[in-house]
This record gives sequence, C-alpha cells and structure tokens, in this order.
Amino acid sequence: MSRPASFNFAEHQRQARRQTALLVALFLLITLLIAAAVGGLAGVMLAVGPEAAEAGAQQPRPSGPLLERMDWQVAATAGALVLGVILLAAGIRGLMLGSDGANVARSLGGKEVTRDSTNPSHRRYFNVVEEMAIAANLPMPKVFVIKHEQGINAFAAGLRPETAAIGMTHGALATLDRDELTGVVAHEFAHIANGDMRLNLRLMAMIFGLVALYVAGRMAMRATMLRGNRDQREAMAGMAIGLALIVLGGLGILAGRLLQAGISRRREYLADATGAQFTRNPEALARALKKIGALQRREELGNPHGEEVRHMLFADGVSLNASGLTATHPPLVRRIQALDPAFDPETDPVWRMSQRDMMQQVRAGLAG
Amino acid sequence: MELLIILVVVIGLAAFVAGIYNRLVRLRNAFKNAYAQIDVQLKRRHDLIPSLVESVRGYMKHERETLTAVIEARNQAESARQQASGSAGEAGAMAELSRAEGSLGGVLGRLFALSEAYPDLKASENFKSLQEELTSTENRVAYARQAYNDGAMNYNNAVQTVPSNLVAGMFGFRTATMLEFEDREAIQQVPEVSF
Repeated sequence: MSRPASFNFAEHQRQARRQTALLVALFLLITLLIAAAVGGLAGVMLAVGPEAAEAGAQQPRPSGPLLERMDWQVAATAGALVLGVILLAAGIRGLMLGSDGANVARSLGGKEVTRDSTNPSHRRYFNVVEEMAIAANLPMPKVFVIKHEQGINAFAAGLRPETAAIGMTHGALATLDRDELTGVVAHEFAHIANGDMRLNLRLMAMIFGLVALYVAGRMAMRATMLRGNRDQREAMAGMAIGLALIVLGGLGILAGRLLQAGISRRREYLADATGAQFTRNPEALARALKKIGALQRREELGNPHGEEVRHMLFADGVSLNASGLTATHPPLVRRIQALDPAFDPETDPVWRMSQRDMMQQVRAGLAG
Repeated sequence: MELLIILVVVIGLAAFVAGIYNRLVRLRNAFKNAYAQIDVQLKRRHDLIPSLVESVRGYMKHERETLTAVIEARNQAESARQQASGSAGEAGAMAELSRAEGSLGGVLGRLFALSEAYPDLKASENFKSLQEELTSTENRVAYARQAYNDGAMNYNNAVQTVPSNLVAGMFGFRTATMLEFEDREAIQQVPEVSF
C-alpha cells in the first residue's frame, strides 16, 4: 500500500464531478427545449383566432410575425403534454429497469459466490470484496462470477448500495493478481458509492422518453394521413406537429445518447479516482487496465444484453471500435495515464504481456 | 425589557453550547463505531492463528521456538484487544494494542519467511487457504484502521479548535489516540511473502 503523491484523487474526483454536472444540465436543457419547441409550433399551427372560428376554416389566418399569431394557451398545453409524455415514458422505463443488482448479474450469466466457497480463487475474490466494503464503508454487495468468460471484465449493478451486486469474469479472476483484483473491485465499489448506476438509469429512461416522443410523432403523421384531407388546415397542423415530433425526438435521442456516453466516460474517470482513494494503490488499478489493454484483441463480451449494460462494465465490452463520442468508456491509454503519468504503451512490459504469461504469473503467486 | 434581552442571550448561548456538545458526541460515536470494526477484524485475526499453527506444526518440526513465539504473541495481542475494546481512543490501551499487534506481525512475518523452506507446506491447500484468510484479515484491519484514524482525526479537530474546544473542555471530551501499528513493515510484508 504505497502512497505516491503523484496521484491526486481528490482533484481528479472534483473535476469529473463538475463535468458530469455540466453534461446532466445540458441533457435536461435539451429536453426542455424540445418540449418548448413542440409547444411553440403547436401554438402557432393550432391557433384558432375568434374571427377564424366564426368565418370557418377558409378565412385566411391573421398574418404578422409568428409570435403574434401564437396561441399561448395551446402552446403551454402542448409543451406540458410533451414533457408529460417524456417523463411518463421515462418513469415507466425506469421502473422496469430498476430491478436489484443480483437480477442484473444473473441475466448476464453470473453465478453467485458465497462466503463458504471452497474454490481458492473465488475465496480470494470474496475476501477482496469484503475488504473493499470496509474501505468504502458500504454494505457488502452480492458477489458474482461470469464463468466461461476469458476476457478481463467486471461490473457493478443495482440502484442502491443495499441491493448492489458486483460481478467479475472468470478471466479477470485468473489473470489478475490480488492487488490488481482489489483495484478493479475498488473501481466497481466506486460506481456504487458515486451512484453511477442510478444516474445512468435516469439518463436511459430519459432517452426512452424521447423515443416515446418520436413514436408519438410517427403516430400523429400516420393518423393525419389515414384521415384524409377533410380539412386542409388541420391536416397541415397534424403533419407539421408530427414531423416536428419526429425530427426533434430523433435529434433529442441522438443528443441524449452522445451525452449519456459523455457522462459515462466522466464517471469512469471518477470511479478510477475514487477506487484509488479506497485502496491508496493507483498502480495496481493501472496494472489491471494494462492487462486489459494487452488482451483487448480477444476481448468481447459475447452477450445479447451488451448494449444495455456496457456502461456498467469495467472496460468497454461491446466493440473494439467504440471510440470517440459514442464510447461509454474513455480510451484505456488515457485512463492509465491519469493513474500513472509515466505510462508509455510502447515500452510498458505489462501492456505487452500475453494472457498465458499473466495466468502463469498469477498461478505461481497463488501457489506461494 | 432588560430581563427579556438577558433571557434571549442566555437561551441563545445554551442552544449554541448544546449544538456543539451534540456534534462532539456524534463525532465520538463515529470513531468508536469505527473502532468496533477494527476489533472485529483483530478478533478474526487472532482466531485464525491457532489453526495456522496447528496446520504448520506437522511440517515445521524444527521451528518449535518460532511457533511458540507466535502463540505467545497471539495471546498477548488477544488480551490487549480485550483490554482495548472498551476504551477506544484512550492513549494507554491504544499504545499497548499497537505494541502487541506489532510484535505479532513481526513473528508472523518470520513464520511465513521460514515457510519458504518447506515446499510440502507451501503446496498444502489448507496452508494456502489459511494464508489467504490471514492476508485478507490483515488488509481489513488496515482499511478499518484507516477509517478509525479518519474518524479520530475529525473528532480531535473538533476537540482542539475554537470554539468547540471550550465546550469539549467543559464536558471532559479528551482527544483520541490514533492507531498506528509499530511494526508496520513486518505486517505489510505478510501479503508479499504469500505471493
């Protein structure tokens, strides 16, 4: 447990928290803007001035700047309706996704590891989780292992610390030594402590709300078309609002996904920094990341749920090519450099190691 | 009128003192609670050692002296733990506990170093699993100690800084002693020896 002065976890944490707050605010702002835009459009298109109502639909609408034609009451109602649809859909989705961590772990193919396991590597894993529960001052989560998975990966699931679960692939247990394993477990505890699963669930639910908006737009379009053009003006309004819902909903989904990924990347840095605070051993976590980098060519978590869970994995498990704006994890090299500024992928011995060498090293370690 | 002002001032002052008093009590409970976690883990450590010695005895026939020293240090540490468990943060108890745990760590380190010379022992499943349990317990003690020391520092800051130090003095809140194990190097060597 060396304590290098070079890694200032408090500063890293502060930075990651500030950036998350900014992205979340942006997300909420986009949602509000969409609701306002749809509301404004409805206000203009559905405005029925008193004179128009008397003279029938043929009467040309009062001309003039848009705002003067706007029916504020309709606009406010439509805006509130849009926001209501988003929030309702998000709420329902949130309830559906919000099962406890153990269920999520089982759906990923995890098998529970208990206190009385006799397998030495499971025993060690369970002990490490108990140690970190003390270091993080959190309740002991349920512990899972994903057998038959050779890659190094890990996840934390569950919305509250009381229902949390931690999972680790068989490959991680076989290729990481005790300190590295502790680093990875600390990183997952950091996700639990920072409430990242809850945050991400809310973001996913909000995106689902925008999807609902998009679907509503398509339904409006279809309904208008099916009804035929009995009333030109009404049809126009229906089409325009439907189109607006589709376009704004679609743009919102895109922006939401990008923001979600951006937030997720910030939370990974935060979890690395918080994990280093728990263990006071950033080098071991950096070494675990290096081993992942060394194996990455073969690393793909073959699981149909990949898309839904990739944000909670220790390292991105969906695709090697996931990078840039849509990646849920920052590039490994950058994460390692944050923990260990001296890291150089060209010369680092661990980064260039083969899995067989790692497993041999760990086995030798386990044997004494 | 004057009476009213005096009354307001007295009540305000009393509320102020009560607030500080409550904060001191909360901080004290927090570090005592953190100490309870150390106590649990130390007990676990001490409970493991007799089984370790038993499992080793058959292999290490020529190290009787070391084994006796381990048991002796373990017994001393256990009685220091029992003494300390009711008096978290008190200087004497904490000092005795650090001394006893330090020397236990020292002799355990020696035992594991000697075990390197017995390949049969090192290959034994029972020994390996005991070693893992002991390593884990040592780590738990270290993390629990970190939490206790953080708690004790927060409490000490309150006891020693203005204005809460005045209230602390009035009601006899004494500073808590941090827990550092004397022979830290030896304790931290144990996990290294085990790999």
